[in-house]
Amino acid sequence: MINRRMGAIVDRGMAPLLLIPSVLLLLLILVGPFLYMVWTGFTDLHFALPGREGSFVGFDNFRRLVREDHIFWHSFLLTLKFVVWVVIIEFIAGFALALLLFHFIQKRRLFLTLLLVPMMLAPVAVGLIWKLLLQGDFGMVTYYLRLIGVIDERTAILSDSSLVLPAIMLIDLWQWTPFVTLIMLAGLLSLPREPYEAAVMDGAGPLQLFRDVTLPLLRPIIALVLLLRGIDAFKEFDKVFILTGGGPGIATELLSIYTYRVNFKDWDLGYGAVCAFMVYLVVLILCAVFYKAVFWGGGQRSRRAGFAR
Amino acid sequence: MRLEPSFGRLFRISMETAFLAILLTLFTGTHAVAWTLEEAAAPYKGITIRTIGEALPPLEAMEKLKGDFEERTGIEVVIEMYEHSEAVNKVMLDLNSKRGRYDFILQPHRELGRFVANGHVEALEKYLDNSALRDPSFSPEDQLYQGLWKEISWYGGKIYGFPFTALTMYMWYRDDLLNDPKEREGFKAKYGYDLKPATTWQEYTDIAEWFTRPDEGFYGTAIQGKRHEALWYEWLNFLYSFGGDMLEVKAGSECGPVIVNSPEAIASLEYYKSLMDYSPADTLNYFWDDVMALMQQGKVYQLIMWNDATYAVAEDAEASTVAGKMGFDIIPQGKGGKVGQVEGWTYLIPTYSKNKEAAYLFVQWMMEQQQQLNQHLNGGASARPDVYAHPDVQQISYSKASMDTNAVALPKPTIPESPQITDILVRELSSYLSDQKNAKEALDTAAAEISKLLGSCAPMKYPVQ
Repeated sequence: MINRRMGAIVDRGMAPLLLIPSVLLLLLILVGPFLYMVWTGFTDLHFALPGREGSFVGFDNFRRLVREDHIFWHSFLLTLKFVVWVVIIEFIAGFALALLLFHFIQKRRLFLTLLLVPMMLAPVAVGLIWKLLLQGDFGMVTYYLRLIGVIDERTAILSDSSLVLPAIMLIDLWQWTPFVTLIMLAGLLSLPREPYEAAVMDGAGPLQLFRDVTLPLLRPIIALVLLLRGIDAFKEFDKVFILTGGGPGIATELLSIYTYRVNFKDWDLGYGAVCAFMVYLVVLILCAVFYKAVFWGGGQRSRRAGFAR
Repeated sequence: MRLEPSFGRLFRISMETAFLAILLTLFTGTHAVAWTLEEAAAPYKGITIRTIGEALPPLEAMEKLKGDFEERTGIEVVIEMYEHSEAVNKVMLDLNSKRGRYDFILQPHRELGRFVANGHVEALEKYLDNSALRDPSFSPEDQLYQGLWKEISWYGGKIYGFPFTALTMYMWYRDDLLNDPKEREGFKAKYGYDLKPATTWQEYTDIAEWFTRPDEGFYGTAIQGKRHEALWYEWLNFLYSFGGDMLEVKAGSECGPVIVNSPEAIASLEYYKSLMDYSPADTLNYFWDDVMALMQQGKVYQLIMWNDATYAVAEDAEASTVAGKMGFDIIPQGKGGKVGQVEGWTYLIPTYSKNKEAAYLFVQWMMEQQQQLNQHLNGGASARPDVYAHPDVQQISYSKASMDTNAVALPKPTIPESPQITDILVRELSSYLSDQKNAKEALDTAAAEISKLLGSCAPMKYPVQ
């Protein structure tokens, strides 16, 4: 009895103590640099120009971003467009594929392994592979697209400002749809059988089963997948950097590419910090809004359930 | 007995010779004999010096040459090779962190202003004035092309280094096709004049059009249209030749009015884009590596390219299907007359280097004629006239084009903001080539941004409404 109480006291005392190392580590490698970045955003730090050693300039950089920087806003809209399209299509295609695998395929292991190949490649390798496939003179994909008449002899996908972004989206689909499939399939496999049996007893058809049983049960998994893909797509860099470097013109200049340019081409670190901060801010807001939207219904229900109990 | 007198005579002759030798030594001054690389390097024996540059034949040649220096001095030389932008970025980070990882660096000269203005690199006068370090036979004032040296390695009247490569661009064309009787006959029938290396831009277009045969996978020309520095470099040839420029200045280290949206500049850009009609479909995704490969594979008739890539196309039969079939000439002329553009990579010694003296000794040794010749013959681009005068170099197919262009090469901005100017122009040029803007819009945007970047010293000569 006494022993147990002592144990509890020691536990309570020890818990924060044991947390200290990880908290310190987080402060050191996450919070610290983040705060430093925010601070840098308020300075004129510039590596290339003399006399810009990082003195405080207030909100100058923010003002410049909001009022003067057309390219930033172009990149911002372009990135949003990229994220919305890519995430929606990947989700639909990935989910459909997961359902297909779940319902109709018995030996899933082989299919899954094959499916996961694009996802397992390093992003830079994906960029390089597609750069060769889409090469405008001898690229294999270009050759077949010309053969079936999708593009003409004078068109090269990566050189065409109207085709290049859709092409990069398709590559992203190729690379990340398997990820959605994998998670959704895991979700489907973990679902309990009872609600289905009950629903079937009540006379529900397949469509009703899907809409009223599967989807609600999968809600947290769906939220997770959309969130992860959304954040990832927002940060897309490697493929675009390798395939086009943001070009032609500014046709594929996503926010991450633009931020890279400001920081590591122009070395305008004060302003670059503001750009990076904006990326962070947007991701944070998107996540929060999204999280609320997906979990709101679920939250309501569980609160009600708690009340009843 | 008969040997005696001859032995005596021999003895006397050798004594006289020794005496004369001593006299000669005294008269020619002591330092000429006293300075040797081995002695100068003795205090630094056993240390390691490190450098960084672009992974191209000139640096690979240096890697092969350095062994001789290491053997003679006991100083180890480590060379890091990276792709162009990577080599520039790594140096920028190292200099700003003041770590001093590199004892000397190799950088494109457009970066020089940045380095000098921030105090990242050292002026070399103090090494050149130090008799313990300076090889008395090394006199860059006489041994280098002065114009190139000043453009590539000087800033604000001070010496910061020596040219590692003096790069220029000129016209590459297929000499074998030019001399093909069938081609000559057909060309003359269509255009009314003889097929020859283009000397005007109209001729350049005609020739490009004549040789464009997409069914055979062969094109008249190719432009480096990717959003990459290569695009800017290539366009400068057209800009200068059409009589335009970026800033109205006399030297690269000056700031002056922005004229990049002048009528000449707009005309040059429109002409440049017109060449897309005679280029492969993917031309907007090419930079220097791609057009070099295109030429090596014999898929294009003419283009404008760098001298440090020439060797791999014109001479290296293992890498090139057109080795021995190439011709080279200065670019065609427009309103701007005979011009060329120069871009050099320069040796520099960072302020934070820990072994500056040893680094200076290595650079000085590399600038000797023997090393320069060797490097040049292996794909380098020396800034020493005596290298070009050497019979082995005279035999190289591109020597004349190289020398002609060197003689008329124009300076480009090297002020601290110049890399940012490049970045702005690359973006706008690429926007125009990919039909997102017209030529005037693109150059107006660039001019306004450059003028804003440079501030009061750079008003716009052609204001934008």
